Amino acid sequence: MLALIRPDAWNLPLFLHVLGATVLFGTVGVVAVAGFAIRRGTDHQLLLARVAQRTYMLGVIPAYIVMRVGAQWIDGKEFPNGNEPGWVGVGFLVSDAGALLLVVVGILLAVRRERILLAVPLLTGLYVLALGVAWVSMSGKP
Amino acid sequence: MSTYQWLLVFHVTGAFLLLGGGAFAASLNLIALGRDRPSDIVLLFGLIRIAVVAISLGTLLAFVFGLWLVHEANYRYGDGWVIAAIVTLIAANALGGAGGRRDEKTAQLARKLAADGDEPSAELRARVHDPISLGLSYGSGLLLVLVLALMIWKPGA
Repeated sequence: MLALIRPDAWNLPLFLHVLGATVLFGTVGVVAVAGFAIRRGTDHQLLLARVAQRTYMLGVIPAYIVMRVGAQWIDGKEFPNGNEPGWVGVGFLVSDAGALLLVVVGILLAVRRERILLAVPLLTGLYVLALGVAWVSMSGKP
Repeated sequence: MSTYQWLLVFHVTGAFLLLGGGAFAASLNLIALGRDRPSDIVLLFGLIRIAVVAISLGTLLAFVFGLWLVHEANYRYGDGWVIAAIVTLIAANALGGAGGRRDEKTAQLARKLAADGDEPSAELRARVHDPISLGLSYGSGLLLVLVLALMIWKPGA
Protein backbone atom coordinates (compact mmCIF):
# COMPACT_ATOMS: atom_id res chain seq x y z
CA MET A 1 0.00 0.00 0.00
CA LEU A 2 2.98 2.30 0.40
CA ALA A 3 3.17 2.50 -3.37
CA LEU A 4 -0.13 4.37 -3.29
CA ILE A 5 1.32 7.21 -1.23
CA ARG A 6 3.64 9.06 -3.58
CA PRO A 7 4.94 12.63 -3.17
CA ASP A 8 3.77 14.98 -5.94
CA ALA A 9 7.38 15.70 -6.92
CA TRP A 10 7.76 12.10 -8.12
CA ASN A 11 4.87 12.29 -10.59
CA LEU A 12 6.54 14.05 -13.54
CA PRO A 13 9.64 11.82 -13.62
CA LEU A 14 7.45 8.73 -13.21
CA PHE A 15 5.17 9.92 -16.04
CA LEU A 16 8.15 10.49 -18.35
CA HIS A 17 9.68 7.13 -17.38
CA VAL A 18 6.49 5.15 -18.05
CA LEU A 19 5.60 7.08 -21.22
CA GLY A 20 9.12 6.60 -22.58
CA ALA A 21 9.08 2.90 -21.69
CA THR A 22 5.71 2.26 -23.38
CA VAL A 23 6.74 4.09 -26.56
CA LEU A 24 10.08 2.23 -26.48
CA PHE A 25 8.16 -1.07 -26.24
CA GLY A 26 6.00 -0.19 -29.25
CA THR A 27 8.77 1.18 -31.46
CA VAL A 28 11.21 -1.64 -30.71
CA GLY A 29 8.30 -3.92 -31.62
CA VAL A 30 8.04 -2.20 -35.03
CA VAL A 31 11.74 -2.83 -35.73
CA ALA A 32 11.34 -6.49 -34.70
CA VAL A 33 8.21 -7.00 -36.81
CA ALA A 34 9.78 -5.31 -39.86
CA GLY A 35 12.80 -7.59 -39.47
CA PHE A 36 10.71 -10.75 -39.19
CA ALA A 37 8.41 -9.66 -42.05
CA ILE A 38 11.42 -9.38 -44.37
CA ARG A 39 12.26 -13.06 -43.75
CA ARG A 40 8.93 -14.02 -45.35
CA GLY A 41 10.36 -13.21 -48.78
CA THR A 42 8.29 -10.09 -49.38
CA ASP A 43 9.08 -7.88 -52.36
CA HIS A 44 9.05 -4.84 -50.06
CA GLN A 45 12.47 -5.38 -48.52
CA LEU A 46 13.61 -1.80 -49.08
CA LEU A 47 10.42 -0.39 -47.55
CA LEU A 48 10.71 -2.65 -44.49
CA ALA A 49 14.37 -1.70 -44.09
CA ARG A 50 13.33 1.98 -44.14
CA VAL A 51 10.57 1.27 -41.62
CA ALA A 52 13.14 -0.25 -39.26
CA GLN A 53 15.72 2.52 -39.78
CA ARG A 54 13.32 5.45 -39.42
CA THR A 55 11.52 3.95 -36.45
CA TYR A 56 14.88 3.28 -34.81
CA MET A 57 16.11 6.86 -35.32
CA LEU A 58 12.87 8.77 -34.70
CA GLY A 59 11.13 6.44 -32.22
CA VAL A 60 13.42 4.03 -30.40
CA ILE A 61 16.29 6.42 -29.59
CA PRO A 62 14.14 9.36 -28.32
CA ALA A 63 11.89 6.98 -26.33
CA TYR A 64 14.93 5.30 -24.74
CA ILE A 65 16.34 8.69 -23.71
CA VAL A 66 13.01 9.82 -22.15
CA MET A 67 12.65 6.46 -20.34
CA ARG A 68 16.23 6.48 -19.04
CA VAL A 69 16.25 10.15 -17.98
CA GLY A 70 12.92 9.63 -16.18
CA ALA A 71 14.35 6.53 -14.46
CA GLN A 72 17.44 8.34 -13.21
CA TRP A 73 15.38 11.35 -12.12
CA ILE A 74 12.90 9.39 -10.03
CA ASP A 75 15.61 7.08 -8.68
CA GLY A 76 17.40 10.16 -7.31
CA LYS A 77 14.19 11.30 -5.60
CA GLU A 78 13.01 7.92 -4.30
CA PHE A 79 16.38 6.53 -3.24
CA PRO A 80 18.65 9.57 -2.66
CA ASN A 81 21.12 7.47 -0.67
CA GLY A 82 21.40 4.79 -3.32
CA ASN A 83 19.92 1.91 -1.31
CA GLU A 84 17.78 0.62 -4.15
CA PRO A 85 15.77 -2.60 -3.75
CA GLY A 86 16.23 -5.48 -6.19
CA TRP A 87 13.35 -4.51 -8.50
CA VAL A 88 15.09 -1.21 -9.27
CA GLY A 89 18.23 -3.18 -10.13
CA VAL A 90 16.25 -5.28 -12.63
CA GLY A 91 15.06 -2.09 -14.31
CA PHE A 92 18.57 -0.63 -14.58
CA LEU A 93 19.96 -3.95 -15.82
CA VAL A 94 17.38 -4.12 -18.61
CA SER A 95 17.80 -0.45 -19.55
CA ASP A 96 21.61 -0.38 -19.49
CA ALA A 97 22.16 -3.76 -21.15
CA GLY A 98 19.41 -2.69 -23.54
CA ALA A 99 21.38 0.43 -24.47
CA LEU A 100 24.28 -1.77 -25.55
CA LEU A 101 21.93 -4.01 -27.50
CA LEU A 102 20.30 -1.01 -29.20
CA VAL A 103 23.73 0.34 -30.21
CA VAL A 104 24.46 -3.01 -31.88
CA VAL A 105 21.06 -2.88 -33.64
CA GLY A 106 21.80 0.66 -34.83
CA ILE A 107 25.14 -0.44 -36.30
CA LEU A 108 23.53 -3.43 -38.03
CA LEU A 109 20.80 -1.20 -39.51
CA ALA A 110 23.43 1.27 -40.75
CA VAL A 111 25.73 -1.40 -42.23
CA ARG A 112 23.07 -3.04 -44.40
CA ARG A 113 20.72 -0.27 -45.48
CA GLU A 114 18.88 -2.24 -48.18
CA ARG A 115 18.07 -5.33 -46.14
CA ILE A 116 17.59 -6.11 -42.47
CA LEU A 117 20.00 -8.73 -41.11
CA LEU A 118 18.46 -11.61 -39.13
CA ALA A 119 20.25 -10.45 -35.99
CA VAL A 120 18.10 -7.27 -35.90
CA PRO A 121 14.70 -8.93 -35.30
CA LEU A 122 16.31 -11.48 -32.98
CA LEU A 123 17.95 -8.80 -30.82
CA THR A 124 14.95 -6.48 -30.81
CA GLY A 125 12.60 -9.39 -30.11
CA LEU A 126 14.80 -10.30 -27.15
CA TYR A 127 14.69 -6.69 -25.96
CA VAL A 128 10.88 -6.62 -26.16
CA LEU A 129 10.84 -9.66 -23.83
CA ALA A 130 13.37 -8.00 -21.51
CA LEU A 131 11.19 -4.89 -21.33
CA GLY A 132 8.32 -7.18 -20.30
CA VAL A 133 10.44 -8.60 -17.47
CA ALA A 134 11.34 -5.05 -16.40
CA TRP A 135 7.76 -3.76 -16.27
CA VAL A 136 6.58 -6.85 -14.36
CA SER A 137 9.41 -6.38 -11.88
CA MET A 138 8.96 -2.63 -11.52
CA SER A 139 5.17 -2.69 -11.20
CA GLY A 140 4.98 -5.79 -8.97
CA LYS A 141 8.01 -4.81 -6.87
CA PRO A 142 8.49 -8.37 -5.55
CA MET B 1 3.50 -10.77 -3.99
CA SER B 2 0.23 -9.40 -2.62
CA THR B 3 -3.07 -9.25 -4.51
CA TYR B 4 -2.50 -5.51 -5.01
CA GLN B 5 0.92 -6.14 -6.58
CA TRP B 6 -0.46 -8.79 -8.96
CA LEU B 7 -3.34 -6.55 -9.99
CA LEU B 8 -0.88 -3.73 -10.66
CA VAL B 9 1.28 -6.02 -12.82
CA PHE B 10 -1.69 -6.91 -15.06
CA HIS B 11 -2.94 -3.31 -15.10
CA VAL B 12 0.51 -2.01 -16.12
CA THR B 13 0.81 -4.79 -18.72
CA GLY B 14 -2.43 -3.50 -20.20
CA ALA B 15 -1.05 0.05 -20.23
CA PHE B 16 2.09 -1.12 -22.05
CA LEU B 17 0.08 -2.98 -24.68
CA LEU B 18 -2.26 -0.01 -25.08
CA LEU B 19 0.31 2.80 -25.33
CA GLY B 20 2.94 0.61 -27.00
CA GLY B 21 0.35 -0.47 -29.56
CA GLY B 22 -0.47 3.18 -30.19
CA ALA B 23 3.22 3.99 -30.75
CA PHE B 24 3.51 0.96 -33.05
CA ALA B 25 0.55 2.09 -35.16
CA ALA B 26 1.71 5.73 -35.26
CA SER B 27 5.21 4.72 -36.44
CA LEU B 28 3.80 2.78 -39.39
CA ASN B 29 1.15 5.40 -40.16
CA LEU B 30 3.76 8.17 -40.35
CA ILE B 31 5.76 6.11 -42.88
CA ALA B 32 2.58 5.39 -44.88
CA LEU B 33 2.09 9.17 -45.27
CA GLY B 34 5.24 9.25 -47.40
CA ARG B 35 4.35 6.33 -49.71
CA ASP B 36 2.41 6.35 -53.00
CA ARG B 37 2.44 2.71 -54.15
CA PRO B 38 -0.80 0.93 -53.20
CA SER B 39 1.07 -2.28 -52.29
CA ASP B 40 3.20 -0.29 -49.82
CA ILE B 41 0.03 1.00 -48.16
CA VAL B 42 -1.37 -2.55 -48.07
CA LEU B 43 1.78 -3.79 -46.31
CA LEU B 44 1.96 -0.94 -43.78
CA PHE B 45 -1.77 -0.95 -42.94
CA GLY B 46 -1.57 -4.74 -42.66
CA LEU B 47 1.21 -4.48 -40.07
CA ILE B 48 -0.88 -1.93 -38.15
CA ARG B 49 -3.35 -4.76 -37.47
CA ILE B 50 -0.80 -6.16 -35.00
CA ALA B 51 -1.18 -2.92 -33.06
CA VAL B 52 -4.97 -3.23 -33.12
CA VAL B 53 -4.71 -6.62 -31.38
CA ALA B 54 -2.31 -5.20 -28.76
CA ILE B 55 -4.52 -2.13 -28.19
CA SER B 56 -7.68 -4.25 -27.81
CA LEU B 57 -6.03 -6.64 -25.33
CA GLY B 58 -4.38 -3.73 -23.51
CA THR B 59 -7.67 -1.87 -23.16
CA LEU B 60 -9.32 -4.95 -21.66
CA LEU B 61 -6.49 -5.60 -19.18
CA ALA B 62 -6.07 -1.96 -18.15
CA PHE B 63 -9.82 -1.48 -17.71
CA VAL B 64 -10.68 -4.70 -15.83
CA PHE B 65 -7.65 -4.72 -13.54
CA GLY B 66 -7.86 -0.94 -13.11
CA LEU B 67 -11.41 -1.23 -11.76
CA TRP B 68 -10.32 -4.11 -9.51
CA LEU B 69 -7.40 -1.99 -8.24
CA VAL B 70 -9.76 0.86 -7.32
CA HIS B 71 -11.58 -1.57 -5.01
CA GLU B 72 -8.41 -3.25 -3.70
CA ALA B 73 -6.66 0.05 -2.94
CA ASN B 74 -9.75 1.50 -1.22
CA TYR B 75 -10.29 4.29 -3.72
CA ARG B 76 -13.90 5.15 -4.63
CA TYR B 77 -15.47 4.52 -8.04
CA GLY B 78 -16.99 8.01 -7.75
CA ASP B 79 -13.60 9.74 -7.36
CA GLY B 80 -13.15 12.42 -10.02
CA TRP B 81 -9.88 11.03 -11.40
CA VAL B 82 -11.36 7.51 -11.70
CA ILE B 83 -14.41 8.78 -13.60
CA ALA B 84 -12.21 11.03 -15.78
CA ALA B 85 -9.89 8.12 -16.60
CA ILE B 86 -12.80 5.81 -17.54
CA VAL B 87 -14.50 8.46 -19.70
CA THR B 88 -11.20 9.37 -21.39
CA LEU B 89 -10.37 5.71 -22.06
CA ILE B 90 -13.81 5.13 -23.60
CA ALA B 91 -13.45 8.31 -25.69
CA ALA B 92 -9.98 7.20 -26.85
CA ASN B 93 -11.38 3.84 -27.94
CA ALA B 94 -14.31 5.48 -29.73
CA LEU B 95 -11.99 7.84 -31.65
CA GLY B 96 -9.51 5.06 -32.42
CA GLY B 97 -12.30 2.74 -33.57
CA ALA B 98 -13.76 5.40 -35.88
CA GLY B 99 -10.32 6.16 -37.30
CA GLY B 100 -9.65 2.45 -37.73
CA ARG B 101 -12.86 1.94 -39.72
CA ARG B 102 -11.87 4.75 -42.10
CA ASP B 103 -8.38 3.25 -42.40
CA GLU B 104 -9.89 -0.15 -43.25
CA LYS B 105 -11.71 1.44 -46.21
CA THR B 106 -8.40 2.99 -47.28
CA ALA B 107 -6.74 -0.43 -47.03
CA GLN B 108 -9.52 -1.97 -49.15
CA LEU B 109 -8.94 0.64 -51.86
CA ALA B 110 -5.17 0.05 -51.66
CA ARG B 111 -5.67 -3.73 -52.09
CA LYS B 112 -7.85 -3.14 -55.15
CA LEU B 113 -5.36 -0.72 -56.71
CA ALA B 114 -2.44 -3.06 -55.92
CA ALA B 115 -4.22 -5.87 -57.76
CA ASP B 116 -4.97 -3.56 -60.74
CA GLY B 117 -1.39 -2.65 -61.60
CA ASP B 118 -0.10 -1.06 -58.38
CA GLU B 119 0.00 2.45 -59.80
CA PRO B 120 -0.10 5.52 -57.50
CA SER B 121 -3.57 7.05 -57.19
CA ALA B 122 -4.69 10.54 -56.18
CA GLU B 123 -7.72 9.06 -54.41
CA LEU B 124 -5.58 6.72 -52.32
CA ARG B 125 -3.15 9.49 -51.46
CA ALA B 126 -6.05 11.71 -50.37
CA ARG B 127 -7.45 8.93 -48.19
CA VAL B 128 -4.09 8.21 -46.54
CA HIS B 129 -3.73 11.95 -45.80
CA ASP B 130 -7.40 12.38 -44.82
CA PRO B 131 -7.32 14.92 -41.93
CA ILE B 132 -10.41 13.40 -40.29
CA SER B 133 -8.85 9.91 -40.14
CA LEU B 134 -5.54 11.31 -38.91
CA GLY B 135 -7.32 13.51 -36.36
CA LEU B 136 -9.31 10.57 -35.01
CA SER B 137 -6.28 8.27 -34.72
CA TYR B 138 -3.83 10.78 -33.28
CA GLY B 139 -6.54 12.30 -31.09
CA SER B 140 -7.10 8.83 -29.67
CA GLY B 141 -3.37 8.54 -28.94
CA LEU B 142 -3.31 11.88 -27.14
CA LEU B 143 -6.26 10.82 -24.98
CA LEU B 144 -4.36 7.64 -24.03
CA VAL B 145 -1.44 9.80 -22.87
CA LEU B 146 -3.97 11.82 -20.85
CA VAL B 147 -5.23 8.59 -19.23
CA LEU B 148 -1.64 7.76 -18.23
CA ALA B 149 -1.28 11.25 -16.71
CA LEU B 150 -4.53 10.77 -14.75
CA MET B 151 -3.29 7.39 -13.48
CA ILE B 152 -0.05 8.91 -12.20
CA TRP B 153 -1.21 12.27 -10.81
CA LYS B 154 -4.61 11.01 -9.56
CA PRO B 155 -5.94 14.58 -9.17
CA GLY B 156 -8.22 14.92 -6.16
CA ALA B 157 -7.27 11.55 -4.65
